[in-house]
Amino acid sequence: MEILNIKDLKISFNTDTGVVEAVNGISLSVGEGESLGLVGETGAGKTTTALGILRLIQCPPGEFVKGEIFYKGQDILKMKDQELRDMRGAEISMIFQDPMSALNPVMTIGEQISEVILHHQKCTKEEAERQMLAMLEQVRIPAERAGEYPYQFSGGMKQRVIIAIALACHPKLLIADEPTTALDVTIQAQVLEMINALKRTNHTSMLLITHDLGVVAESCEKVAIMYAGEIVESGSVADIFDATAHPYTKGLFNSIPSISKKMDRLKPIEGMMPDPGNLPTGCKFHPRCPFASDLETCAAEEPIAYEVTPGHFVRCHRCRSWVEELKVERGVGV
Amino acid sequence: MAQLEVKHLMKYFKTPVGPLHAVDDVSFSIDSGKTLGVVGESGCGKSTLGRAVLGLNEATGGQILFEGKDITHAKGVLSKEMKRQIQIIFQDPYSSLDARMSVQQLIAEPLTATGICKGKAAVQKRVAELMDTVGLASRYMLSYPHELDGGRRQRIGIARALAVEPKFIVCDEPVSALDVSIQAQILNLMSDLQEERGLTYIFITHNLSVVKHISDDIMVMYCGCLTEKCECDELFRAPLHPYTKGLLSAIPEPSIHVERKRNLLEGEISSPINPAPGCRFSSRCPYAGDICRERFPAPQEACPNHFVACHFVNEINGL
Ligand SMILES: Nc1ncnc2c1ncn2[C@@H]1O[C@H](COP(=O)(O)OP(=O)(O)OP(=O)(O)O)[C@@H](O)[C@H]1O
Ligand SMILES: Nc1ncnc2c1ncn2[C@@H]1O[C@H](COP(=O)(O)OP(=O)(O)OP(=O)(O)O)[C@@H](O)[C@H]1O
Ligand code: SF4
Ligand SMILES: [Mg+2]
Ligand SMILES: [Mg+2]
Repeated sequence: MEILNIKDLKISFNTDTGVVEAVNGISLSVGEGESLGLVGETGAGKTTTALGILRLIQCPPGEFVKGEIFYKGQDILKMKDQELRDMRGAEISMIFQDPMSALNPVMTIGEQISEVILHHQKCTKEEAERQMLAMLEQVRIPAERAGEYPYQFSGGMKQRVIIAIALACHPKLLIADEPTTALDVTIQAQVLEMINALKRTNHTSMLLITHDLGVVAESCEKVAIMYAGEIVESGSVADIFDATAHPYTKGLFNSIPSISKKMDRLKPIEGMMPDPGNLPTGCKFHPRCPFASDLETCAAEEPIAYEVTPGHFVRCHRCRSWVEELKVERGVGV
Repeated sequence: MAQLEVKHLMKYFKTPVGPLHAVDDVSFSIDSGKTLGVVGESGCGKSTLGRAVLGLNEATGGQILFEGKDITHAKGVLSKEMKRQIQIIFQDPYSSLDARMSVQQLIAEPLTATGICKGKAAVQKRVAELMDTVGLASRYMLSYPHELDGGRRQRIGIARALAVEPKFIVCDEPVSALDVSIQAQILNLMSDLQEERGLTYIFITHNLSVVKHISDDIMVMYCGCLTEKCECDELFRAPLHPYTKGLLSAIPEPSIHVERKRNLLEGEISSPINPAPGCRFSSRCPYAGDICRERFPAPQEACPNHFVACHFVNEINGL
């Protein structure tokens, strides 16, 4: 069953200097117990999407221009404040991108975790404290540090505290915005293991926002690649990793420094992210796309999402002809 | 002569339950124009080490020599000159940039603060040059940080660091917040700047493929201590310390076909507060013996120029 279903969502920010179209008609769905990796360039609109799901976007300057967000069949955009508050705590947890601002600087780490447990489970103080210590242990922070304040913790340790807080309420849907970027790989592996265990025991679903395609390969079943407010490619991990189709996604894979070969220079995607207040016409990626010069349609016409194989969607004009070619290549009857 | 020499550096913080050994007896040196990558678990003391080199955290003990001069407790004129020669780039320039200042003001600030550029016209010209150097289009001159994406903000951070013509830059996770394409752009920019200006870098990161790409030497830290240090390729080819071995086995690769033989390094993480004697890694180490819990392993040269702090380095690696 689908737990989260976003349809044609559009979110803008109305700023002094103009309208920023941060999220531009995206659709995605996450099934129960399923993890979706949301990957994309800085400023592509990933955090805005995540905050939108929880309706945590300040309006104004933000505006939900159109679209629907269904959580277990209920449209979040139509929920009353009380319903929204209940859902945020008990059903959906979010790990915010900026751990520094999510913690209260004048409360100890232990108090902050206990408070969340107390709030959601209505248990005794002693029980909350016991669970708090167990949570700290799970995220590998020595129990004796529970009495310290956030400024005494390194960035990565704060991030682990945030993860502990998010997991403490056993959410049905976890939205994690760059949860492991600040962690070293051994702790990252343990945190992912923890999240995976939660997935198995509680059927927790996850929307995982990350830049790290390695993390996606390890912990997600589905992937969506975002560029300039749109999802340009989506599908199963096998579709995205082994049958990469969109030129932007290909560029991302080519940019990663290899762990096995030494390269003199890295190969980033040429050019820069478009100005979100002044997006290019046609395909938003065309000014940077190595294939765009072959096709005048790229600059003129916005590509639709072609379904190149079942469940694998690509928003690129090249796919119009590709859809046929790929079918031939894969031996699927045209 | 090494450009930077750090000897037995210690930085302890006071906490209500005792001293926290953020950096404990760390020694290393870097030659001019080279890059030392620093990796290790979060909280192991990487930022503290970087800040100590800059004099932002005064060392509790040990010595820091820059071009032969002792700058450990540098004050006054010496400190001012040092501040110019050693600069820092932060992970998220957003929180380190004043949100009320425009790009132009942000880059002009170090120029006017140090007085290396006088007069409005000269400052403006220099700001324009710096923006060009780091690849920031001049139309962003009057933009504010919150209007820019992470990659452009990081370029401001780099321009500010370069403004005062430093010789040495501590890069504290400069690309961790960026997507892989912008990360590649920034890493290329940093390599170009290093080549053109002979800059020396301490490059702190969690990302092992990034550190492998950028570093000449790598130092691995664990819980305040140096665990392994050697030439970059050698570390990836032949890691000798059990922690490094675990670290390398946990790298998530961007492929769905890698068989992972991950060594999860279970076990308690030891606390840096009043640390127990012995090896800080012993609680997670699969090879730990009695001596590991009793005596602190000092780094020793296990092979030429390859330093490892482990009592059993020879036995584990058949050396
Ligand atoms: N409050 C706001 N006012 C104006 N513009 C905003 C606001 N919040 C976000 N934006 C803009 O919306 C766009 C999308 O931002 P968002 O934070 O969602 O990107 P992201 O994909 O999460 O990027 P990153 O990888 O850097 O976290 C950006 O251009 C950003 O500048
Ligand atoms: N001002 C402070 N007061 C007390 N303890 C501190 C302070 N700053 C850092 N520490 C502690 O010192 C240790 C090292 O912190 P540091 O920030 O150097 O770690 P790090 O290796 O940079 O971690 P990360 O990878 O998460 O950034 C940590 O245990 C941290 O909690
Ligand atoms: S539509 Fe054109 S410009 Fe856009 S990604 Fe495809 S080829 Fe490139
Ligand atoms: Mg974001
Ligand atoms: Mg740090």
